[in-house]
Amino acid sequence: MSQLFLIAIRNLIQHRKRSLMLGGAIAGVTMLLIFLTSLSSGVRKAMFEAATTIQTGHINVAGFYKVTAGRSAPIVTDYKKVMEVIKKSLPDVEYIVPRGRGWARVVSDTSSLQAGLAGIDINQEPYFKNVLHLESGDFNALSEPHTVLIFEAQAKRLNVKVGDVIVISALMPNGTNNTIDLRVVAIAQDVGIFSNFSVFMPHQSVNDLYQINSNNMGALYVYIKNIKQLPKDMDILRKSLTEAGYTMMDSDPRVFWIKFDSVNREDWTGQKIDLTTWEDEISFIKWTITAIDGITYILTSILLIIIVIGIMNSMWIAINERTREIGTLRAIGMQRRRVMSMFVIEAFTLSALATLTGAVWGLLLAGIVHALHIHIPTGAQMFLMSNTLKFSFDFFRVINGMFVIIGATTLISLIPSLRAARLKPITAMQHNG
Amino acid sequence: MENVVSLEQVNKNYILGKTTVNALRNVSLVVAKGDFISIAGPSGSGKTTLLNLIGCVDIATSGHVIINDQDTHDLSDRQLTELRLNTIGFIFQSFNLVSVLSVFQNVEFPLLLQGKISVEERKTRVMDLLKKVGIENHSKHRPNELSGGQRQRVAIARALVTRPKIILADEPTANLDSKTGETIIDLMKEMNEQEKTTFIFSTHDARVMAHANTIINIADGQIVGNQMADKNKSSVKTSAKSKKTDKTKSKSSVKLQGKTK
Repeated sequence: MSQLFLIAIRNLIQHRKRSLMLGGAIAGVTMLLIFLTSLSSGVRKAMFEAATTIQTGHINVAGFYKVTAGRSAPIVTDYKKVMEVIKKSLPDVEYIVPRGRGWARVVSDTSSLQAGLAGIDINQEPYFKNVLHLESGDFNALSEPHTVLIFEAQAKRLNVKVGDVIVISALMPNGTNNTIDLRVVAIAQDVGIFSNFSVFMPHQSVNDLYQINSNNMGALYVYIKNIKQLPKDMDILRKSLTEAGYTMMDSDPRVFWIKFDSVNREDWTGQKIDLTTWEDEISFIKWTITAIDGITYILTSILLIIIVIGIMNSMWIAINERTREIGTLRAIGMQRRRVMSMFVIEAFTLSALATLTGAVWGLLLAGIVHALHIHIPTGAQMFLMSNTLKFSFDFFRVINGMFVIIGATTLISLIPSLRAARLKPITAMQHNG
Repeated sequence: MENVVSLEQVNKNYILGKTTVNALRNVSLVVAKGDFISIAGPSGSGKTTLLNLIGCVDIATSGHVIINDQDTHDLSDRQLTELRLNTIGFIFQSFNLVSVLSVFQNVEFPLLLQGKISVEERKTRVMDLLKKVGIENHSKHRPNELSGGQRQRVAIARALVTRPKIILADEPTANLDSKTGETIIDLMKEMNEQEKTTFIFSTHDARVMAHANTIINIADGQIVGNQMADKNKSSVKTSAKSKKTDKTKSKSSVKLQGKTK
């Protein structure tokens, strides 16, 4: 076998020009695949970080409270008891964050916009300050009453800066509007679509606005140590909360605000708990990742087909050139399967070396573009969840991509290799190519 | 004496368009172990076809080709390949060395195909043979760094390395100058005497034929005679029309069973 590898490598070196052209093409496709999958991983990571900081926990324990059958509020009553159940039943919990929820108009002297309201306790949010980057102001000031953190694009649209006062106006279930004045204490850099529709304020401000007591909370964001355990943890939580006497909503993988209509149509009153995952809460924008992955796969598939045809052609030429050599090797006692192996090994070696090179190039390119902090146009920021192009190295996806390319090229080489192996020694030896 | 090759009423036809070419016609032949035989005849007479059938790289249209007591007609491709690997060595007119392998690796290659010999033994056997053929100093060279004569020496070493019973050489000196050709034939003869390996080679060079114990003359696909040469004779009759077999001078055990003209 080592001799076959030696023959393969030396033949590749001997036909340097052809090997370089074909290897270069394979490396190019691999580079593109790795670059795009790194981008996709980067977007996925940015989306995960942004979503799980702004919009959702890994698991959300939320729900609806209905005073009458047709009027619901997205709150969990007596949330501290629910927190206790979660802590007791889920050993995988890293921490739990209570978040107020609401939807209101944010008004400045010159403009207004709609935004989701998030009530937070800034001192209980371990990763909030790591994920968001401030343009101006101070995170810690959010612990003061009647303060608000808004995002860059919102500040621009509202034409406000740190220290200015904005008005939050929310429509109450009874049809009236409640308002509250909040002082802008921090302006954070945008992080995609979530930052366009979110403002952060202390819990008390949300409670004041909606006139609810402090035992009620919009949702409990549960962060777990091992994200791979999420489905299992969901099952544990559902079972524990049911056993603790809570009425659970049927599993519905949609963001909470889409559920209002269906909840209002249901004929029940009181509290129901809704369990969702982070992916459920951002399901409305997951198409971004699907689109990037789709483009990646379509593009690389087309290029892969071209490469595969290239490999086939190249091998036909190589076999044609080396038919007499095949005849000689068959004559001196090489079995058919070894002849086939010889050519398959050659294709595999070329493909493996080229793919490895392409992967290194792809990762280097992704690293360079990542380090350059290339600014993304505002429209694209919405869905890429970042203001700069971000790439992330996903070992499994890189290896997977490499295997696909090596596998496809090696597999296709079986066709010409099989033909070479089936050549009769006499036919091969008499070949005049 | 042990027979290593036996051909019985062998015919080989080729289809060329609408024409059938009878490359070999009713050839019968027995070759004993240790013979040094030359197949002589003009171009297109069937020398190479005969060697190809003996070498199991081609199959007869009819008749029996028995190599080392095995009727090749009954063997699968796999078995034929094994027979070639273990029983037959080939020396080609154009040397047919693997260009990307060194001299040592070319000679070692059949042993690797056999796959049952240790690294140490392979090395010893290859180096011994390279020494015997006088090319041990070029073991690391590639074929394209060698002269024609040197390449053919490598080919001889490669053919001998598996210690086959039969070595077939198709015009081994055709691409060499006469002096080098003589040396190569001398070397083959030396190997024949030392290793007791049967050599069957084709040629139409009278000086080369002179080294053979037996010359089988072939014309139009038929054996037309054989001549048993005295070992020390420097020339032999090469007439394709030869009708008699001079058995009185024979040191060879070739039995000519084909039709003679």
